[in-house]
Amino acid sequence: MKPVGITRFLGTNCDRDVWQAVEALGLAPKWLWFEDQFDPSDYSAVVVPGGFSHGDYLRCGALAAKAPVMKSVSEAAAKGAPVLGICNGFQILCEARLLPGVLVRNESRKFIDKWVTLAPAGKTPWLKPSGGPLRLPVAHGEGRFHSDAEALKKLNDQGQIWLKYKDNPNGSLEDIAGVTNEKGNVAGLMPHPERAIHDWMGGEDGRAILGTLLS
Amino acid sequence: MVSEMNELKDKLKKYRLSVSEYEQIQKLLGRDPEGVEFALFSALWSEHCSYKSSRVQLKKFAQKSKRVLQSMGENAGVIDLGQGEKVAFKMESHNHPSFIEPYQGAATGVGGILRDIFTMGARPIALANFLCFGDPKAERMQSIVEGVVAGISGYGNCVGVPTITGQTEFHSSYNTNVLVNALAVGLFTKDDPVVTSQASGVGNWVVYVGAKTGRDGVHGASMASESFAADSASKRPTIQIGDPFLEKLLIESCIEVMKENLVVAIQDMGAAGLTSSCFEMAAKGNVGFKIHLDQVPLRDSTIGPEEILLSESQERMLLVCEPGKFEAIQKVFHRWGLDASVLGEITAGKEVELYWKKELISKIDPKLLTDNAPMYDRPFEAWKPKHKSETLSAQPLAVEKAAASVEGTSRRWVYQQYDQRVGGRTVRDCDDSVSVVKLLESGRGLGLVLGCRPYVMRMDARLGGYDAAFYPSLELSAKGFQPLAMTDCLNFGNPEKPEIMTEFVASVEALAHAARVLDAPVISGNVSFYNETLNQNITSTPATGLVGLRDNVDHIPRSEFTTAGDSIFLLRLPGVSFTGDQLGRKTAYAGDLDPDSIAKFMTDLQLLGNHRDVHSTRVVGKFGLGYTLFRMCGETLGATVEKGEWAKTPAPWSDEHMYEVLVCGPANLEVALRANSSGAKVWTLGKVTAGDLIIDGESKNLKGLSDAYVNGWRNHFAQLA
Repeated sequence: MKPVGITRFLGTNCDRDVWQAVEALGLAPKWLWFEDQFDPSDYSAVVVPGGFSHGDYLRCGALAAKAPVMKSVSEAAAKGAPVLGICNGFQILCEARLLPGVLVRNESRKFIDKWVTLAPAGKTPWLKPSGGPLRLPVAHGEGRFHSDAEALKKLNDQGQIWLKYKDNPNGSLEDIAGVTNEKGNVAGLMPHPERAIHDWMGGEDGRAILGTLLS
Repeated sequence: MVSEMNELKDKLKKYRLSVSEYEQIQKLLGRDPEGVEFALFSALWSEHCSYKSSRVQLKKFAQKSKRVLQSMGENAGVIDLGQGEKVAFKMESHNHPSFIEPYQGAATGVGGILRDIFTMGARPIALANFLCFGDPKAERMQSIVEGVVAGISGYGNCVGVPTITGQTEFHSSYNTNVLVNALAVGLFTKDDPVVTSQASGVGNWVVYVGAKTGRDGVHGASMASESFAADSASKRPTIQIGDPFLEKLLIESCIEVMKENLVVAIQDMGAAGLTSSCFEMAAKGNVGFKIHLDQVPLRDSTIGPEEILLSESQERMLLVCEPGKFEAIQKVFHRWGLDASVLGEITAGKEVELYWKKELISKIDPKLLTDNAPMYDRPFEAWKPKHKSETLSAQPLAVEKAAASVEGTSRRWVYQQYDQRVGGRTVRDCDDSVSVVKLLESGRGLGLVLGCRPYVMRMDARLGGYDAAFYPSLELSAKGFQPLAMTDCLNFGNPEKPEIMTEFVASVEALAHAARVLDAPVISGNVSFYNETLNQNITSTPATGLVGLRDNVDHIPRSEFTTAGDSIFLLRLPGVSFTGDQLGRKTAYAGDLDPDSIAKFMTDLQLLGNHRDVHSTRVVGKFGLGYTLFRMCGETLGATVEKGEWAKTPAPWSDEHMYEVLVCGPANLEVALRANSSGAKVWTLGKVTAGDLIIDGESKNLKGLSDAYVNGWRNHFAQLA
């Protein structure tokens, strides 16, 4: 099987965590450095991990979205390859216009780290069909999903909302924790599935999401 | 003549040097100091850099164990965990800056302690912080709490190192002098070199990497070595500004050049900036340095040599490399978006020569500054217990009151702002009494706990010193971890006052004794004196951080009840019984500690912590048994407990003991407990239930208690968002 590409920007800090999780699932990870472009056909999927890419300067994800590697990520997305953005990776994919909406400062105006319960919303290839709620950790200062009413309606109509908070930690619109693009091959979420891979981490529900990279 | 005298007086005042220190400098140099030399001595002979009031006492920590690879004198202590794994760790204070400018003070405290760790080649894997604030009603306190927590969160989260534990205390003695102590742990895995700051190799290059130098933090070290007057705000310009993004790049690039063996020696530019790194690296290596100060990358071209020497701009490192390896080093730093500049070279002489635009402005033997700093044996008295009595008087404390108090309420508002899981190693987070990270290569668990209970220190500095080591060791042991070593951050008032020095000596001796009986040496640390404002001294606070090791991370006992029907056992050592001064109670204690028997009990407790039938454990701490039992209850589990023969003090549910531990598991666990708790008595308190907490037949509504516990914070800090 082709490797899973993991992007690294200056300031990415969940890169090793995703690497470990991908390995634990029996997949081969490979780094994608922000200054380099790559051939999408060499990879089975691309994960854009979280962190503080380029120091969150300007706007979360805004600088990373303009990096050379994102040209190739866009190509991969256009070709229908699975692309997953986690936390800051979600913000980057939104800034790169690969996903709809924006992520703004938490309602509390504070960074929040906690375990949350999530409900799958609609059908999505990004979740193993277990159906039940998931427990995953969130850790972000700017995770409140926002979009205008028209776009929101479209997201609902087209089933692009795939994950909702049961106990909304950040004031996110309609409790949205994750969305996909229209085709469904590009997805983003604020919670960290790579931090819930083993029982000793406090839960294994992250496998239900990252495990879909196997197929 | 008079004007000359006055000029010198002013100069000494500016550089915070005493007349006797000036005379000593004259003697060492064989002449009067000139030009930048005043600044050099001011910085390196400051209390902060030289430990001049504490070095005599700190020798008491001299202790080796077979695991210690690096100890005091290096950037951080390093211990060998076996199986190819080593950890570096250290704790440091950033008290004065955090009071003046809470956000930046706390943030740069985190940045500084991280640099002490990765400068040795270790990857930082955990952060912790020990915070002491004043009364929530004190002037500025709400905004100080908010700023400090936001600073730690803003820096730690961005660099990507999880904050896995912390301790937050409140007392009016910290009203005008808060404590912000940060601890960092770094991991070396197989083949990672341990790099030191000892410069060597004549002809090798001295290289500056990281952020450019600005005016921030000039005279920071000497500022931190003074008591506060009323005008602390005027010291704001001496505060450093941190950039965690730069630090993250520095972590990655520095670790990379060290792993590739491109570096001979490296040290961060911390307190006293370039001055301390230059002179300390040269002195340790017994070599000379030739440094061109005009080659230092500047943020502001108008900065002169003296400010360059003293600037405490953050995120900067000084390293020594072979000239042939510079290109490779530069390539790594460029890749990470950073610059590396050559400042000079190592010379065959034994002096540090400082040049400014080709002109020699100072030439001085670094050892005069680093090894010949004054050493003061400050006066102190033999320790006399203050609050000891034959018996305790009854001062019962309701659990409800304790749970709602600022001392007892939930700290979730604080630690929810910290990323506790980045790195993918966290097993137990700030929610737990012991934080744990998994060592991914060997599969073992590394436990981390902070120590020092200020209310015990206020009761008795000697007992408090013992407690700063024993209490966290018990917490580790109760989870099956063997304590291996500790770091400390000794926060005290003005050492020139004998009563403060007396507390310092009493607690240091107790801490050193505890470390010996535990075989858990103090391998790194920091002393922060002059925590005094307008003659009010803080509670003497020798904060500690302990690391422990466990063979695995499976079945670590929980800190809450897990199973209805479990028996609740109390393991109690004979020793000290006391009432703490929290919530207006009058402090008193009876009895004595027996350090050897405590250490022996701890070994047994570690076995129990690994026993499969032990479901949960908790060391009984502040507010005694009632509050501790409440903390073990969950949303659905309570307990029914009753007074028994064990209740020997007048307020059995709120008096405290050094020491006692609650252990829960099936009833037949009692056999194992009796066999494995040498010196301690084992009692059964009651059972875990699916109902409320019922103490001596009186039912405590758990929902109400939890609300009080959770909302208590909000009630005390109404101004916080």
